[in-house]
Formats: sequence, structure tokens, C-alpha cells
Amino acid sequence: MNVVYKHTIRFVIFAFLQALVFNQLNIGFGIHLMIQPLFIMLLPFELAVIPMMGIAFLMGLVIDIVSNTYGLNTSSLVLMAYLRPILFKFYGPREGYDPLKEPTSQDMGANWFTVVYGILLGLHTFWFFLLEIFELGRIGFIFQKTIFSGVLSFLLALLIQSFILNSKQKK
Amino acid sequence: MRNLIAFLQRFRIFLVFAVLQFLALLWYTTFLSFPRNQYLTTNNNIAIQLLEWEHDLTKHFNLSKNNTDLQWENIYWRKRQPKFMYQLSRGKVKISDTLYEQQYTYIPAEVINSSINRRNNYFTLNVGTAQGIKRGMGVFCQQGVVGIIHYASEHYSLVKTVLTKDINIDVSIRMKKTDLPGLLKWDGRDPRYGMITGINNDLRIKKWSTVETRGGSGIFPKGLPVGKVSFTEPIEGQALWKVEIRFAADYRRLQRVYVIKNLHLAEQTALEARIPEED
Repeated sequence: MNVVYKHTIRFVIFAFLQALVFNQLNIGFGIHLMIQPLFIMLLPFELAVIPMMGIAFLMGLVIDIVSNTYGLNTSSLVLMAYLRPILFKFYGPREGYDPLKEPTSQDMGANWFTVVYGILLGLHTFWFFLLEIFELGRIGFIFQKTIFSGVLSFLLALLIQSFILNSKQKK
Repeated sequence: MRNLIAFLQRFRIFLVFAVLQFLALLWYTTFLSFPRNQYLTTNNNIAIQLLEWEHDLTKHFNLSKNNTDLQWENIYWRKRQPKFMYQLSRGKVKISDTLYEQQYTYIPAEVINSSINRRNNYFTLNVGTAQGIKRGMGVFCQQGVVGIIHYASEHYSLVKTVLTKDINIDVSIRMKKTDLPGLLKWDGRDPRYGMITGINNDLRIKKWSTVETRGGSGIFPKGLPVGKVSFTEPIEGQALWKVEIRFAADYRRLQRVYVIKNLHLAEQTALEARIPEED
């Protein structure tokens, strides 16, 4: 499948799953499941930073409009898209990334994925809750929400990836 | 000039990042207090269509509980209707009453999108300016207060619920002899509990005393239930109570609400505009 088509379909699926399903779930304990960072993570290696930030902005816009969050998702997704190439450079192999591979845990190894996506998701989630709550006296609550939501969103990301890979192997 | 171009080339990634962040944060900070453009809220055509589909799927989830609640409300009002009562004193002449005049009218609405676990939670209702909804009207459900209309488009409207950062609804704690006025706030932790600020600690507050709207600002009528006091604690260094209340309404499964229209609001604001400003 063409890369552009594949990522366009993913964009639609991820944005509407997030806005219509995961944003409507009320689990409690301050847990807020987020799958939209995984979409930014799974964009191809060779994509330049500026188009990626544009895509992140669009994605955030769609989610914010459908769930009345007014720019919260947009801001945190743009931050994540800005930080992604920096982290990829830092944790990348010496000879550069293989353009045939994708930044998934199956292609790049579980260790690499856990470290890079863990840091990116953590920063994204922390920025999100920091903006949303915006009170210095409640920093403990911000950390609690970040840790709970971050860990569960990470496990959800692993689950979604295993679905994507299984469908590929069957073909 | 060449230096400037070189500078822009070098930092162009960061500049694009800064511009996009600025746009997003501008959107966030301005829309929280005053939304201007309906296309950036759920009130636009595409988003509302998606949410209508989603609502069609999920609206029956709490149907049984909601129907029971409505039935109980019907019984409550039915019991108060004169034609279902036994008349104790016969032979008196009934006079049509001119002592009372209707001040509030109610518009029924359905919640088609809601969230409760964010810092600022908004509900989308399926009524709009076509039904007479305006910004600033109060919204309540059968159990208690819900919020204030934040933005109204032609067929839909957005409610700023009591589960937001800066809503400030005028409430009072009703005890046996006194009414203590305060402001309703929410700390973002639990959608079942709210807070009341501005209550002096010279009076003791009984646990589980009722909290009602005060009706001062003309948005809500007097005496709508808000919740019950669940916890009080003196704030250190201030002569105030920290009061936590348990909301009467369960916002997690809210479906049917009423929008309040105050027929005397124009009169009240016109009168209050005559108060001379001190400068």
C-alpha cells in the first residue's frame, strides 16, 4: 500500500477513535487514555519536521473540535512532533535509520520503542495535564494524572501495534 | 539582511514550532472565557453530525435508570395537582389567583455530548437559538444544577458545566435559621464532589445540610438543589471554612436537562444598570 494512503487512513481512524471512543470513557482516578501520540510516533522516519508538525497540528485540531478542548491536544501534539526527531537522533543507530523499517516495536525492537515512545508519551501527557490544570499548587495531582494515564496509554499503544502487525503478517 | 536570512534558515524549525504553539495556546486561552467562532467548537455541522451518530449508539445505555427517575418526578408533581387531591373543605368559591406571576420558563433539552474527567467540562445540548437559547442562561436537571449556556448556535448549544475552573455560581448553604451565601467551585478531582468558597467560620455547619441556589444573579431561581455538605475544615490563617459538597446530580450519566429562561431578567439588568458607578 502506498505510504501516503496508509497514513491518511490511520489519521482518520486514530483521530475519530480518540475523539469518539477514548475521550468518552470515564475510568476514574484521573485516567485519560490517549492514542493520538502513537499516530505521530508511527509516521515514517524520513518525514521532515515541519510537515510533521503540520500534520500534528491538524490532528490536534480535529480532536479538539470534536471534544471541546480548545487547543489542548493541538499544543501537546505539536510539542511531541517537535521533540520526536531530536529523540530519534539521540537514540538512533550510528549508521542512521533503515528507510524500509518503520518506528514500531516490531521493526526497531521493544527496548528502543519503550525508551523513545515512553519519553515522548510522558512529555506529551505531562504538557497536556500541565496546561489543562495550570496550578502550581496542584503539581502532585498533575504528576498522578500523568503517570496513571501515561502507563495505561503505553500499554494500549502496544496492543494497537500488535493488531497492526498481525494484519500485516497474514498477508 | 543576509544574517537575518541565515538566522531564519537556521532556526526555521523552532520558529514554525513556536508559531504553531502560539496559535494553539491562543485558541486555548481565549476560548475558555469567550468563544467567538462556532466552527472551532462542537457546534459546527460535521462535528455535530458525528456526535449525533455517537449519541444514537450510546443514548440507551442508562435508559432504565433515567426512565425510573422521570417516573418519580412525575409522581412528585402529580401528587401536588389539586385534581388528584381529596377536597377537605367543600363549598368554597375558587378565585383565579393574581398574586403569583410566572417568572421562569423551562426549555427541555437532551445532552448529546459530555465529558466529566477533564479540568473544564462542556456539554453539548440539542437546542439552540431557534428554541430561544441565549448565552448566560442557566441549565439544570431533575436532581440539581448543571451549568450555564456558554455558546449557542442555531440548533445546538454548549453548556459550561459546574465541573469547570471558573464558573462561580451563587449558592447558599441552608441551615435551620440561616442561609450562608457562597460561591460554587470545582477542583478538578472528582465529578461527584464540589467546593464552596467564601463562607465565614463564625457559624458551625452541619454535615449533610442542603446547598441550594440563591437566585441573586437572576440565572437560576431560588432554591434549586445543588448538593449536600459532606466535609468541612477551617482554612489555616483565614476566617473561612473549606466546604466540600456532594453534588445532588450524577453528571456521569446525565441525559435530560432543562434550560431556564428568566422572563424578568431584562428588567432586573436594566434596573441594576442604574446603580451609579463609583470612580
